[in-house]
Amino acid sequence: MARIELTDASVTFTVRAQKKVTLKEYLVRGLFRGSVNPAVQVHALSGINLSVRDGDRVGVIGHNGAGKSTLLKLLAGIYPPTGGAREVDGRICSLFDISLGFEPEASGWENITYRAYLQGETPASLKGKIDGIAAFTELGDFLDLPVRHYSSGMLMRLAFSIATAIEPEVLLVDEVLAVGDLSFQHKAQARMKEMMSSAAVMVIVAHDLTTIHDLCTTVVWMEHGQVRMQGEPDEVIAAYVESVNGPPLPRAAAA
Amino acid sequence: MIGHLTAVWRFRHFLLALVRLDLRLRYRRSVLGVGWSLLNPIAMTAVFTIVFSNMLGSGAKDYAPMLLTGMAVWGFLKEAATVGSRSLIANEAYIRQSPLPYTLYPLRTVFGQAIHAGISLLVVVALLVMVQQSSRPLMVLPAVLPGLVLAFLTAWAVATIAAFANVYFQDTQHMLEVAAQIGFFLTPIIYTRDVLDRQGLSWVVDLNPVNLFLDLIRAPLLTGNPPELGTYLAAAAVTGVLGLLAAGTTAWLQKRVVFHL
Repeated sequence: MARIELTDASVTFTVRAQKKVTLKEYLVRGLFRGSVNPAVQVHALSGINLSVRDGDRVGVIGHNGAGKSTLLKLLAGIYPPTGGAREVDGRICSLFDISLGFEPEASGWENITYRAYLQGETPASLKGKIDGIAAFTELGDFLDLPVRHYSSGMLMRLAFSIATAIEPEVLLVDEVLAVGDLSFQHKAQARMKEMMSSAAVMVIVAHDLTTIHDLCTTVVWMEHGQVRMQGEPDEVIAAYVESVNGPPLPRAAAA
Repeated sequence: MIGHLTAVWRFRHFLLALVRLDLRLRYRRSVLGVGWSLLNPIAMTAVFTIVFSNMLGSGAKDYAPMLLTGMAVWGFLKEAATVGSRSLIANEAYIRQSPLPYTLYPLRTVFGQAIHAGISLLVVVALLVMVQQSSRPLMVLPAVLPGLVLAFLTAWAVATIAAFANVYFQDTQHMLEVAAQIGFFLTPIIYTRDVLDRQGLSWVVDLNPVNLFLDLIRAPLLTGNPPELGTYLAAAAVTGVLGLLAAGTTAWLQKRVVFHL
């Protein structure tokens, strides 16, 4: 049973104009800190209600900066809700920022193990999978080299192969990942499709409305950190396209 | 807090794999491997022994093991705090990817440092057995063990607090280095306690928690006599307080720190 339940969830954080304050500065300039380095409140998400049950496929659309990625991070548990509640049951697989967090000095093989343990594998369960993961990367002998020698395409292959090696119940996807060269992209897309059909629930963020329309059972349109509209794919996408293109004259697809 | 610790336990494979990597990188960068990292304290011990052992009126035979043990204990606590203070920043990529318990990252540092210090201590024990021509340093090891466990927990707690502080104020790390430099001379490491006592600084030594761990680890190894119960209790109290502080800090900041990384 996988389940996502957001109840009036908000993510608000403060950023400062100057990024870091040292303690010395803080003590010395403490009195007039406000004017020197003003704090800005960012309401990345506010008052989100979302209820996802087994079998649901949720597409999230909206402009850049509308809070789509923040929503995924909230669902993944990376950002805690600063207001409201977040409940997610089920094994989560997040397919975003996957090329982060490699140990540059360690080999490809080792990074596979670290990442797999991070995703909750044990040495015993990994044993049966590691060869499959390695084969999927098609990196061959490069896996023996430290990851810092890899090209970005190779890193993406490695990251993608590991990230998609688990059988998730809750699948969180950001955009369509541009993974490696053409042949790998086909493979990656096939793997994604497979995962999307096997996962109990999925939340996908994408700009490609056709993909969203084809895949999803519900669409959420986000604007300025709030849900502008939520419902049937047809309706929401039509409304979104209309708002982007102005009044419904030309029936061109939105970018 | 229990939930937090079970989460740490659940990711033990991840933690241990990274600790192994850290150690391998640390020792592989040099031709001498583990030997190289021991060479530094040994060289320092040699120099200090030549300079100080006569001055302090104790022979090199007594002085060298004292210094080496003291530096292993001090080095462990100091590195755990200073290197540990960077642990959240250094592991930002993992933090941004998976919701792991935050205390796992300082633990990664402390684990590595503990193994490193453990190797130094083994060398010391071997040296003591040779110098003293007796097995007393080995016999007393069970009495030293609680001290090692308490030192480990203290280091974890301090590293956790420092790591959170360092995210908010990035000069925490530098200030810790400065504090450690001063602390080194206010702790009876290169000299015995009475040198500080004679300067009227015995109250500093009494208040210095590092001294407790020296009494728990160094003293029994050198003398062969197990520490007094009071010392155990005092160190346990220090560990308990720091542990609570670390738990409090984690509970307080774990929902916000990600926004400041």
